[in-house]
This record gives sequence, C-alpha cells and structure tokens, in this order.
Amino acid sequence: MNGMMLVARREIVTQIRTRSFIFSLLITVVIVGALAFAPKLFDGPDAYTLGTVNSQQLPLEAAAPDMEFEWRAYPDEAAATRAVLDGDVDAALVDGSKVLTDGEIDTELGVLLQSTHREVKLGPAGVNIAPLQVESVGADTRYEAARTGIALVLVLVLFMLIIGQVMTVAMGVVEEKGSRIVEILLSSVRPWQLLGGKIIGLGVLGLINLGSILAVGLVASYVSGFAADFPPGMTGIMAGVILWFVLGYAFFATLGAALSALVSRQEEVGNVMSPISMVIMAAYFVAFYAVNDPTGPVATIVSFVPPFSSMVMPVRMAATEVPLWEVAASVGLMVLAVLATLSFGAKVYERAVLRTGARVKLGEVLRAK
Amino acid sequence: MLEISGLRKRFAGSPGTPEGKQALDGIGFTVRPGEMFGFVGANGAGKSTTMRIVMGVLKADAGTVTWRGEPVTYADRQRFGYMPEERGLYQKMRASEQIEYFGRLHGMSPDRAKKATEDLLERLGLTERRNSSVESLSLGNQQRVQLAVALVHDPELLILDEPFSGLDPIAVEALATVLQERCRGGVPVIFSSHQLELVERLCDSVGIVSAGRMVASGPVDELRAAEGGTLRVVVRNPAPGWADGLPGLVSVQGDRHVLVTEDGDDQEILRRAVKAGHVEHFGVEQPTLTEIFKEAVA
Repeated sequence: MNGMMLVARREIVTQIRTRSFIFSLLITVVIVGALAFAPKLFDGPDAYTLGTVNSQQLPLEAAAPDMEFEWRAYPDEAAATRAVLDGDVDAALVDGSKVLTDGEIDTELGVLLQSTHREVKLGPAGVNIAPLQVESVGADTRYEAARTGIALVLVLVLFMLIIGQVMTVAMGVVEEKGSRIVEILLSSVRPWQLLGGKIIGLGVLGLINLGSILAVGLVASYVSGFAADFPPGMTGIMAGVILWFVLGYAFFATLGAALSALVSRQEEVGNVMSPISMVIMAAYFVAFYAVNDPTGPVATIVSFVPPFSSMVMPVRMAATEVPLWEVAASVGLMVLAVLATLSFGAKVYERAVLRTGARVKLGEVLRAK
Repeated sequence: MLEISGLRKRFAGSPGTPEGKQALDGIGFTVRPGEMFGFVGANGAGKSTTMRIVMGVLKADAGTVTWRGEPVTYADRQRFGYMPEERGLYQKMRASEQIEYFGRLHGMSPDRAKKATEDLLERLGLTERRNSSVESLSLGNQQRVQLAVALVHDPELLILDEPFSGLDPIAVEALATVLQERCRGGVPVIFSSHQLELVERLCDSVGIVSAGRMVASGPVDELRAAEGGTLRVVVRNPAPGWADGLPGLVSVQGDRHVLVTEDGDDQEILRRAVKAGHVEHFGVEQPTLTEIFKEAVA
C-alpha cells in the first residue's frame, strides 16, 4: 500500500472511531428517513367539513375525487353561523343560495362550490356541458411536487456534507502543521501524498455519509409509499448527486487544505477559510433558489459555472429534466476547475505547510521559487 | 557517514526582528558510523536549524549535506529517524497505532511494523499504555512514544532534537540505553542537548555551536587534550618562595601550598616541589565538557 493510501486509511479509521461521526451519521439518517414520510403527513388528500341549513348536499365529490367532504346539517342559520365561527365547519350552505364563511373562503373550496352549484342548477334545465379536455403540450409536471421535495433534501444534504468534510480537512491540515507532525510525516511521504491521502480519506467518509443518506432515503420512500411519486430516472439523479458531491468536495477540500496550510493554529482556521465558506454558502443559496425555479436564467447559467455548478446542477437535475448535453458540459467545466485547483492547491500546500509560526501570506507562497 | 559542510541559512526579517537573522554561518561536521554525536550550544545557536536542514524540513541557502558520500536524497531520509524539537504526535491516536502507522509510512510491511512496535513498547516500558491515546499519557511517556516513532523503522541514521529534555532520570537511562544499542549496531546518532554531563557520558564526539558556527568539534578526549589539562600541586610546609619563577598561582591553605597552572614544564615544577617540601598531590586535571563549552563560546 503506498503512502497516500496509508494516510487515507488513517483518516478513515480515526474519524469513524469518533463518537461525533457516528452520532452525526445517525442523526442525518433519521432526519432523511423521517422526511420520506413527510409528504404523507402534510400532503394527504384535502378534507373539508361543510354545513347545510335547509339545503341539498352538493355533489362535490364528483367534481373533486381526490378530496373528502363531510356534511353536517343544522336546524337554522344561527346554529350554522355558530358552527362556522367555532371552526366546526369550513363553510355552511344556507337555503341552497348562500354560503357562510369565517372570513374569506378557501379559494379551492369557493371555486368548487360555485361550479358545482351552477351545474346542479343547469342540469334540470337541460343544459349539459361536456367537461373541458386538458392536454399538456409542455413538460411533464406530474412529478413536480416530488421533484421539488427531492431537490430540497439534496440541497441540504450536499451543503452540509461538503462544508462539514471541507472543514474537517482544514482542521486536519492545521492539526498536523501546528503539532509539527508534518515534519516527521514529510520525511516519509511526499506532500502531495499527504494532501491527497487526507482528501481521499475524508472524501470516502463523505461518500459513506452520502450513501447512507441516499439508501435510507430510498428505503424509507418505498416503505412510506412516497416512491410511487418518484419521477422517472431516479437512479440517474442519485448517481448524479454522488458524482457532483465528489467533484464539489474535491474542489473545495483542495482549496481548503491549501489555505489552511497557511496558518499554524486551530483558531485561525475559521478566518482563513472564510472565503471558501462564503462561496459554498453562495452556491447553497443559488441551489436553494433553483429548487423552485430550476428552468429560470439564474439557475440555468449558474449550473454551468464551477464551483457553483457542483451544487446547482444536481438540484436542477432533480427539480426538472435537464438535457444530457447540459449535464455533460457542466461536468466537463467542473472537472477542469478541479484539476486546476489540484495543481494550485498542491503547490500552495507544499510550500506553506512547513513554514510554521505566523500566518504565511498567500502571495508570498506563490512568488517563492 | 554523514558529512555536513558550509551550511548557511538566513531567516527573513519579521515585524519583531526586521533585519532578519543569520541562523547558520557555515556550519560543518562529520558523524561516522556507530558514532554518537552530541550537539551542544546555547538556545538559538543553530542546532535545530541544522537538524531540520539535514531532514529536509528546511532548505539551506548554501552548503551541502552528504550521506555515504552522496548528497542526501528523499529516499535516504526515508531511512532516517527524526525527533523534532517540538514534539509532534496525533493526540487522539493510540500509542501503539501511532508507532505502527509511522512504521508503515516508512515502508514496513504490516507484520514487521507491528512487531517492531511491540518490541519498542516493551523496551521503552510502554506496554501497559499501548492502547492509551497520546493525549492521556504523561509528558515523559509522550516523549517515549515520540522516540519510538523515530526508531520504529530501524533507521540508518538518528537525528534527535533534545530527546532528553523534560525526562526523569529513569526515563533518561531507558532512552540512553536504547540509543547506545542502536549506536553499537553501527547507526550514527546525532542528538542535541543542554545536559552537558549527559553528553559527556554518552557521546564519542561533540560539536559546540555558537551563533551559527561550529566553534569546536571532535572526539571529547581530543577536545580535552586541545584545551589542555590543569596541573595541580599540593605541597605541605614548603620553604617560603619555593615557587618563585614558576608559572601559575599559588594559594596558601593553612600549612599547604596549592599551585595551579595550565602551562610550564611539569617535570621542573615537580622537582622544585619535591625539594621544597612534602608533595601531597601532583596531577593533571582534565577539563569537563562544561568548562570546554564555556571556554569555546566565550
């Protein structure tokens, strides 16, 4: 096993053994599992309770088969008014001509009541209107809600994992530099082996996290029945998420390792890492915005710009159908950015990591021969 | 054989010291196989800087470091054992795992690394603490682990920056024994220390640095000889004025006259003393390393 793999293995073994790793993994897995059940809890069929006073029940079920209606009869208007005000019923139909509500009526319920009422009145007069045939000529939006939900979860997961692992890399670099272990390490491994091993090791841990989250999410979705709403190409979306995590992590972790090699104390890590945290945050916000507007110009353009694309593109892929060439182009650009970062980061790391003491200036490192 | 010659290193200025510092000013010395070399000098004299350059942690501005006649390469350094001045260990790692890890990094097979680790733990009296995390160990035990890390891969050369500082006498003995064994096995050992008695006792050769220069170096006996001994003669009830014309100082302690001198013809002095009275003591006293050191850096 070469030096880099030994370093990576040490990172994995040491981290997995910590309590915080196990706990945070358990917590995220539980949250993601619970989220798969959320649609069932919040998004069940709408139900209305309606009151009648001296009226026929309207055949609302025929117009809205997904909803449930419960009817209660009241002896007079006063009783119905009380029921409306107490919240016992959402609305009450009086004498077949008036609807009592508490404030404005729920829009959907109002439209339903009006149109059904009209139909009921027109029917006996011999007017029979064939319902409008709806035909979509645009994108398939049947899975929109599910797509939005999945995208929302992905934004959070990617953000948390990337920022968490990148900070761990930065802390690890400073731990080795500050304690001078690096002086012993570098007499037995090359700087790029040490850097690469650390990034790979912590990346594998990130993938273990991501894999567990995806697996639990999928299993929970099948159990809760949410999987029935899954858009086609779910496997592609999942594979995309893993690929984008790897790319985004490689980019930010390399940069983080390089910048944190400039300082020697843990207290300075936050300071030197703030530009990177800010970029990750910015990517997170755009990705969050892209959840609701995945086809808008901002989301579309930014999903090509590295490193933002690493968080925006997977979200777009989940939230809408993205043509394959767009994904390929975006991946290509990101890979180029990662390669550039690797060469830059390795150089800065190598030159800065042995210079202990005061914070090393980036410009100084780059100018050094 | 490790040969260091003409090392120069200047540190750039910082807000505290704008003019910078010439840390090494042409330092050079040689360490032969099986030789234990003690590196002494005041704080900031350049010992650590020299060692860091040999280990490739720092780059020299000028000068050469050769190992077995060739400039030191990365591959050579992989077979060196190094203990930096500021101790570096993974605080959360277990002692045994840490030693094993460094063995593996130096290219040992898992089995060999494991075996070497077990041996060292036993030799250094750490077997009971093998599964303790480094941060839970006492300072002395942490230092033993640090030494084990430097020794685990059976290095061909040992460079130890103040390996004895902060250790109790028992730990010093344990460490010294391990080093002497390695040395007898043909491994050159370089260590720096401020404990001059210890250096004098353990080392075949010493190098005294001052302000980035090697002011004296060589086998301890040769340094002593070069320094010259001090002749001390005690004569009881001598005739007054017996030492007139002899070099050195005469002090009178009761009925004893004590003559102390660093030069002059010892045979002539002896003859005069015997003639003058009862000679109780006549001997050359060797300077201690401390005296040589004080003389050299003065």
